[in-house]
Amino acid sequence: MWHIEAMKAERDELGFDAPAPVGHPVRASLPADAPTGPAIGDRLPNFSLPDAFGRVINFHEDRGQSKAVLVFYRSAVW
Amino acid sequence: MRDAFDKFETAGIKLYALSYDDQETLAEFAQKQGVQYKLLSDTNSRVIKQYGLLNEQLSKKDAFLYGIPYPGVFVCDEDGTVISKFFHDSYKKRESPEMLIDAALGRITIDETAPRAESSDDGIRITAALHGGKGSLRQGIVRQLVTTFELPEGLHIYGEPVPQGLTATEIKVEGPAGLVTLPMEAPSTAPLHLKTLDIDLNVWSGTVRFATPLYPVGELVSECRPIDEREVELSVHVTFQACTDETCLLPQTRILTLHVELEEIDVPNLPIHTGHGQREGNYDSTPAMKRLVWRKVRKNPLRLLQFIWNQKRMERRSKR
Repeated sequence: MWHIEAMKAERDELGFDAPAPVGHPVRASLPADAPTGPAIGDRLPNFSLPDAFGRVINFHEDRGQSKAVLVFYRSAVW
Repeated sequence: MRDAFDKFETAGIKLYALSYDDQETLAEFAQKQGVQYKLLSDTNSRVIKQYGLLNEQLSKKDAFLYGIPYPGVFVCDEDGTVISKFFHDSYKKRESPEMLIDAALGRITIDETAPRAESSDDGIRITAALHGGKGSLRQGIVRQLVTTFELPEGLHIYGEPVPQGLTATEIKVEGPAGLVTLPMEAPSTAPLHLKTLDIDLNVWSGTVRFATPLYPVGELVSECRPIDEREVELSVHVTFQACTDETCLLPQTRILTLHVELEEIDVPNLPIHTGHGQREGNYDSTPAMKRLVWRKVRKNPLRLLQFIWNQKRMERRSKR
């Protein structure tokens, strides 16, 4: 963002560098007991969401009979 | 992920990536970065909440940041049942795509092009290979140093615990400062009962693979400075004792040395990230960032002020 430009790189407790100060919300830490969603052995809850082209994707329907990898990530922007 | 898409296709695994970004952002990301897998747009973090993954360390006061998930990956089988999952303590850490494919298929498949070292002696071949990506090290991306034993018929090696006088298999990976190694993953041992001595042992035989996950942090590869050394050395110290049911070879240690490349990471196309010698996409993310901020603050412009204030406070704190 425009006003974070002046920030210097700082190293966090895990050893990673980033151009925002440690403790800044953009470097939100992940607590050791952070939830990790459905457990191994659970069926993944189904959902429908639009993809990049505006098509609505029903997860299990779209997957069909294939194995799948579902990634939850922060953002394609920052 | 992008580079490994073909491998997912070949393995018959569908790949989905979900974030709170709007569709327009994802469309640009997909087009400019050549992403072929499905990018799902969860703008209200509805599915993130449904999965119980909303990052609650952040609050609405954090403006555009609020709504992101704890980062992680689920691998499901044909029925949609979770067979493996990966969650980390940092947004900067994630598995190599190859590890996700391995988890889905239940076996490790190493690329022929992976950097490797080999040692053959006493009829036992040991190979050490850096598995994942292009066999290079990238900031926070977890690769595996895979040590493969090829044991001739009749020979076995030991897992802990071992009775006195026998040596258990041990693998230590040493690398430059800033390379973090995680505990080794080993296949399960088979029980072996030696009648003559009346002892119970835990053994591996045939072809056995041991995987040591590892990743570089800022001291070695940083998103805030260019890579100065292109290549580093990893040495793998393999200690083991091979035996038949009747006799044992002497315990031995073999050292295998590999040379692996350091690689840049992809940084977001925002002024704060770019210009440090990392890999930048060929487009500007600022418009997407502005849309994101607007989407998050339009119902409550106070959030923007709170965010800026918070930002300034952090800047001051970091300068002290």
